[in-house]
Amino acid sequence: MKTPALYIIDGTRTPFCRMGSSLASQTAVDLGKNAITNLLTRTGIDPAEVDEVILGCVGQPPEAQNVARVVALRAGLPERVPAMTVHRNCASGMEAVFTAHQRLCAGHGEIFIVGGTESMSNTPFYFSRPAAEKFTTLSRARTFGTKARAAVAFRPADFAPVVGLKLGLTDPYSQLNMGETAEVLAREFSISREAQDAFAARSQLLANSASHIHQAEISPYYLQDSATGFINTDNGIRADATAEKLAKLKPVFDPKWGSVTAGNSSQITDGAAALLVAGEDAVRRHGWEPIARLVDYAVTGCDPKRMGLGPVRAMDAVLHRTGFTLADMDLFEINEAFAAQVLAVMKCVKDPAAARAAGLDSPLGEIPTEKLNLAGGAIALGHPVGATGARLILTAIRQLQQRDAHRALVSLCIGGGQGAAACIELC
Amino acid sequence: MNTLVLDPTQDPDQDLQMTNQPREVVGTHFLYRIDNDGLCWMTFDSPNSTVNVWSTESLTELASHLEHLSHETALRGFIFRSAKERIFIAGADLKSMRNLPSSGLQKLVWLGQATFDRLARLPVPKVALIRGACAGGGYELTLACDYRIAIEDDCTRIGLPETQLGLLPGWGGCTRLPRLIGTRRALDVILKGRLMDARNALRQGLVTHLVPAGHAEDTARKLLKQPVPSAPHHWDRSPLVTPFLRWAARRKVEGATRSLYEAPLRAIDVVTAAASHSVEFGLQLERDALNHLLMGSQAQHLIDLFFQREAASKHRPAIGVAMPVHNAAVVGAGVMGAGIAQALAARGLSVLMTDVAPEALAHGIERVRDLTDTAVRKHAIDRKTARDTLDRVSTSCTPVPLTHKQIVIEAATENMALKKKIFADLAARSAADTILATNTSALSVAELAATVPHPERVIGMHFFNPVHRMPLVEIVRLPETSPDVLATAIAFVQKLGKVPVVVQDSPGFVVNRILMPYLLEAVRLVEEGVPVERTDNAMLDFGMPMGPLRLLDEIGIDVANHVYHTLREAFSDRLPALKTLDTLLAAGHLGKKSGQGFYLHTKAETKAKVFSATANPLDADSIQLRLSLVLSNEAALCLHEGIASSAGDIDLAMVLGTGYAPFRGGPLQHLDSIGRDYARSELHRLAHSMPAPNPFTPAP
Repeated sequence: MKTPALYIIDGTRTPFCRMGSSLASQTAVDLGKNAITNLLTRTGIDPAEVDEVILGCVGQPPEAQNVARVVALRAGLPERVPAMTVHRNCASGMEAVFTAHQRLCAGHGEIFIVGGTESMSNTPFYFSRPAAEKFTTLSRARTFGTKARAAVAFRPADFAPVVGLKLGLTDPYSQLNMGETAEVLAREFSISREAQDAFAARSQLLANSASHIHQAEISPYYLQDSATGFINTDNGIRADATAEKLAKLKPVFDPKWGSVTAGNSSQITDGAAALLVAGEDAVRRHGWEPIARLVDYAVTGCDPKRMGLGPVRAMDAVLHRTGFTLADMDLFEINEAFAAQVLAVMKCVKDPAAARAAGLDSPLGEIPTEKLNLAGGAIALGHPVGATGARLILTAIRQLQQRDAHRALVSLCIGGGQGAAACIELC
Repeated sequence: MNTLVLDPTQDPDQDLQMTNQPREVVGTHFLYRIDNDGLCWMTFDSPNSTVNVWSTESLTELASHLEHLSHETALRGFIFRSAKERIFIAGADLKSMRNLPSSGLQKLVWLGQATFDRLARLPVPKVALIRGACAGGGYELTLACDYRIAIEDDCTRIGLPETQLGLLPGWGGCTRLPRLIGTRRALDVILKGRLMDARNALRQGLVTHLVPAGHAEDTARKLLKQPVPSAPHHWDRSPLVTPFLRWAARRKVEGATRSLYEAPLRAIDVVTAAASHSVEFGLQLERDALNHLLMGSQAQHLIDLFFQREAASKHRPAIGVAMPVHNAAVVGAGVMGAGIAQALAARGLSVLMTDVAPEALAHGIERVRDLTDTAVRKHAIDRKTARDTLDRVSTSCTPVPLTHKQIVIEAATENMALKKKIFADLAARSAADTILATNTSALSVAELAATVPHPERVIGMHFFNPVHRMPLVEIVRLPETSPDVLATAIAFVQKLGKVPVVVQDSPGFVVNRILMPYLLEAVRLVEEGVPVERTDNAMLDFGMPMGPLRLLDEIGIDVANHVYHTLREAFSDRLPALKTLDTLLAAGHLGKKSGQGFYLHTKAETKAKVFSATANPLDADSIQLRLSLVLSNEAALCLHEGIASSAGDIDLAMVLGTGYAPFRGGPLQHLDSIGRDYARSELHRLAHSMPAPNPFTPAP
């Protein structure tokens, strides 16, 4: 049986802004709502035509569980259109696209709004379990005596917050922080600090020179508290980045021996992206002119301690399913969670020993640098975890259009030891 | 009256217990039921109508029911409610009152008082269950009850709007309200004359309880079982205090209205006197004052305007089907564009606001947000409503498809070439049946319509600035405009809570066409050496909300000049050429926005400028006559040319669009008030004494 094809009609995103900067006042709901409203405006479609809204979001806002539903309603989708939030850590925004395709295959709808939203600025702080218990006791106390006793049970340490973001960026299974998994890869595959910094500088400079491409994706975000009343540029890009300047930064995760710094890692960022996708019949019925087609995709698992290698086997799976080779790809878009991690992936697809270490029988070929992340990546643009997956697909499409190319392989590593990859072609 | 007593039992043994059996009495306007607990549930349900109003018939019937109930020994409590969904009682039936002779009016005033007094004297606790509009005489009925329970509902609106109609609450409102909430607050409620939602009514003390629908009856039963609490004591009802309150209130009202309106001043007198005297005395004062006001011209004019406004707000054209509009676009994010977008979004429409640059959109969005925030601050809407309003406004600075918009309103700057370009672009991006509306104040809609395919969907929609405050929208229909498009535009404007007046495509339409010669005549007075302040004060005394020269400064000399030139092309035989406007323009004195025009505008004060060394001795009366005749004469010409379909439409448009003294009823009504022959002779005199061209040649 031939699987139905999923077409991407259009897409847009908010500007990506560093945590605590211009978009810090906006919740994941606001960001997602903005992306979807602008998507509806750009495409001019009637929201009632949409069969479901599927959004990725990693740190679900406590005030908006199933954030996709809240976003959809506020963006003006009719109440009868359902919405779900998907969670596959860093690939959540891409998972939303996959889920839409699976819905389409199963005959559950044919027009979807997909994407992701993340406000890392608004990740909550928590109280520790013992502190929470003391608060519960206090709230249940009725008499003055029990209240006083409950109150004096508190210790200063109880008021130290548990940082939600830190929890989120730590894999509870391997007990390693994401940065520490990058250090593992750097050591195992001998990725030098210099190579990482050079890659990071490349990302910054490419992102800067491709800012017109990013501009085309971005819908201006109107915000009273910004100086001009609106934001329409990503604010993480450093046009003056050089490997020398980056070399001065201290390693964050392993201060003594490490090589992973804030400069050669992805940035912690707020942002949202949304795509309108639909099956072939719907495309024909509405006379839409889709910009791209999802050819195939795969999600695979790997060692959580080396989660950065996720793309290796995920790309392998997509190549297997499609019958393409790496040489058939005009462009590659691999999420830059860490420079060390992307460089490790490139080594693993090429070098036989490394390939074996990554779980491949034989190398896949080569990802030429001149085809990889040509508009920069998350090191420059930032990595709002729930939104990145959708952003990568959008960026890949704009790149293909820009360069008159046809086919791209998009992939990212996933905290907890997974990889996702998708092959897309322009229509 | 056909009353029908249902006997629930045929068993003679039970006849002794009859008083404890439920009984039902069905009248014409009322039906009531006395239940097992001895509670009388009185339901107001006027036949063949969606509203309940007080007329001679309904009052007489209620009085007779109350008379029967007063002999009911087993009665324990009384509950008054309405069977209508959105109306409790809309007040007195003004329509039938207009046809009553003066003796009939006096009788009606007495009948209302007597009926409500009878209710007040009913020796059991009484409750009014208020859901929907409860205005004027409707609220005065509830004042005769011990408890007023408002039911949570969006359509619940409570208040005493009589002073807005040139009347005063004369069925116990002026007397009983101060006893309930104190003199000061009663004065505030009666003088503002605003209808409040249930929450505000509770806050102001107009109702005693606020309950969710479904709990009202139980709440009433509970309250009726308890003893009625004694009336609250209000220190400001003391005869030592009320004269001071009267003085303070009069001072305030006299300042705000230049003592032009009779009703609020009479209301102050009655409320303050009734507060410190007996109920009987208060009712007597109410009756006298109301009878006096009912005979005056102010109330007649204000009530006429009220009806005209109601008619325009509900008007459905005879042919043409109104299509529902829920998705709209506004082109241009300037002051008008943003104002229109906000008005649409506030009424539940999705609205796309477009402009060429994000900078412009940022200003537009900020304006929408400011208007919405202000509404929250004034408790007009809650935070969720504000958020939803803002969520409904989307933006774009690139050309996006408009195929799903039912209406697109262009609100760009007043430039025909630009508007034509925009319309061509809009026509290309929208569906063939998308209504294309232009918010122009003077440009030709026909010229614009000629440039697009399907001109039958083009219409003019002239909103006034500031959009959120101005209720008028001139709808400009072209001969080719389709009946469906016109019907849709009318219904759309009504949905926005605005008043549509349909006008023909003629330069300046109705409002600017009539206003401009008046403003120019005021400028001519300046050129003749009449001091700026004298002219403006004369017209303030006439009842205008702002003097003409001050208004020119507010509008902006450049904007006014633009409208002037558009009109002068068409009416060169009537509009004078004036050098003062050009002089001001050349000097960059554009009015308030540039710091000076006819006035000097500084942060601290606004001061009239001196334009002539020798002051012209022309007195205020002559100024008033001359300027008001310009307005009335131009209005008569508009009517003669068929720009609007009726005199009422023109009067309404002028009152709502320019604030023309409402108590005078409008420029055409004013013509009747001063006498058409007198006006004609004065116009002839002025036409001959003024240099041509002048606007005084009398309309045919």
